[in-house]
Amino acid sequence: MKIWSKIFICILVYTSSLLNGQIALNINAIPRQVEVFLDGESIGKTPIMGYQISPGPHDFELTKKGYAPVTYSLIVNPSRTINLDFYLNPIYKIKFTTEEQGLTFELNKNHQWRKKKIRIELEAGEHLLRVYKKDKVVDEQTILVDEPKHFKYFLKKKLSN
Amino acid sequence: MKKLISLMNNGLTWAKFKGMKILMKIKESNYIVVILLLVFASGCSSIFIPRYENVIYNDRQPLISVTYDYGEIELRLPLFYPRYRPKQIAFQVYSAGDTTFPLISVMEDPLDEIVLFLPHGVLELKDSTNLIKVMPQDYDFRSFYIPFKGINAGQISLPRKAIDFKPLIVRGIVTLARNDSIISGVDLSVQVFPATLATTKSDKNGMFEMGIPGEFMKSTNIELVAGSNLIFKTFRQKLDYSNTKGIYQYVRIGPSKTLEEPIYLTNKKRVHFRDNPDIGSKTKFLLEEGESVSVKRTTRGEYFGDIEVLLQDGKLVVFDGWIAREDLTLMQLENIFSKENNNENME
Repeated sequence: MKIWSKIFICILVYTSSLLNGQIALNINAIPRQVEVFLDGESIGKTPIMGYQISPGPHDFELTKKGYAPVTYSLIVNPSRTINLDFYLNPIYKIKFTTEEQGLTFELNKNHQWRKKKIRIELEAGEHLLRVYKKDKVVDEQTILVDEPKHFKYFLKKKLSN
Repeated sequence: MKKLISLMNNGLTWAKFKGMKILMKIKESNYIVVILLLVFASGCSSIFIPRYENVIYNDRQPLISVTYDYGEIELRLPLFYPRYRPKQIAFQVYSAGDTTFPLISVMEDPLDEIVLFLPHGVLELKDSTNLIKVMPQDYDFRSFYIPFKGINAGQISLPRKAIDFKPLIVRGIVTLARNDSIISGVDLSVQVFPATLATTKSDKNGMFEMGIPGEFMKSTNIELVAGSNLIFKTFRQKLDYSNTKGIYQYVRIGPSKTLEEPIYLTNKKRVHFRDNPDIGSKTKFLLEEGESVSVKRTTRGEYFGDIEVLLQDGKLVVFDGWIAREDLTLMQLENIFSKENNNENME
């Protein structure tokens, strides 16, 4: 009797979803097991198959430790199925060291430090490194992060020096 | 430190060192211990390097792929043909009552079921404002709309519909022939003896409209009957649908303008209208109840006067003759409705 009641409830849910114009949502992500928030509520971890969603605007947020979170807003068109595939950027641990004295380092215009040795976590990709000495920019370069590594910084000396 | 090195170099001395007896049982493992110590020392040094408190993002656009899988709408319409099948049938589907832009137009043979396919999500979902227009490609057949409620995708099965002839229409206006005033509330019917196909009453403007099944389009004895609830003789007119589906008919009831006063009406059926007042004289016509007679002369028991006879071609012909006085009643235009329906509707 319980089995039949469960089957009945399943059929009821399925038919009500059809009547309400629901769309089957499939989400895949690289890496796997990424937690997905739909309009602020968790709907599970990837891969997600056949989650019912209504047409219209929706906000997606994907998070996984060690990867940059993704937020994505989308107006879902009326359709039978929508498939979303996300590729999350990894975050790498970088050891940053320098032998230079009295420098201030700045990454992406809003992260600063003065220490000669520091461990930082950087999203994969390019980052803008700007170096100050006594509030004056003495160096600026783009660093590419594509793996965990030890970044040793040397201030470029002018030939005249 | 020197002591430690000397202990490592000399295995026997190292064996005396408390707590390290087990390691010294294997002489060759001395160098492993050194490596372990170095690794331990280097690990501690890395722990002591401070960590930047926040993760630094570069706001690189993540790779996102969005794909839709669109379904389709399968529209099934069973049809049946009570009499004949048209050569072909055209179908048009409209969304949300917008008949200016059909979603699809197709021409099909007259099958027992028509199946139409529509793209996903093109139909109105909230109410039954979507329409299918069914247009048989034959003048004798009627076209019609079928409203239905939409879905995003899947199958819609509509109820079975008949593909049948167009109805035959008769419409017109009822007036009093004497003064052309319109008459409302007049009983009208379309008859194919002995059946009555449709009935109605003239509206407040004297107008009427009736539809009869299209299968009678070839019939030659369709008759419009009007005024059975009036004091006058009922109006009867043959309707010919051999070349049309709609007829506009003027219904002029009562005596015409040409009949002179005073006008009497026959008060019973089968009234003798004779050549002479003499008993036994020849009867020209047997008049129906409500026939108008324009009386010109009188005798003790008879009236002499004119009657109008409507010919098949619509012409009125006047005949004169004699009628017994008790068979006539003076016409009162104040109330033209018969006693069974005694209300004033003339304007």
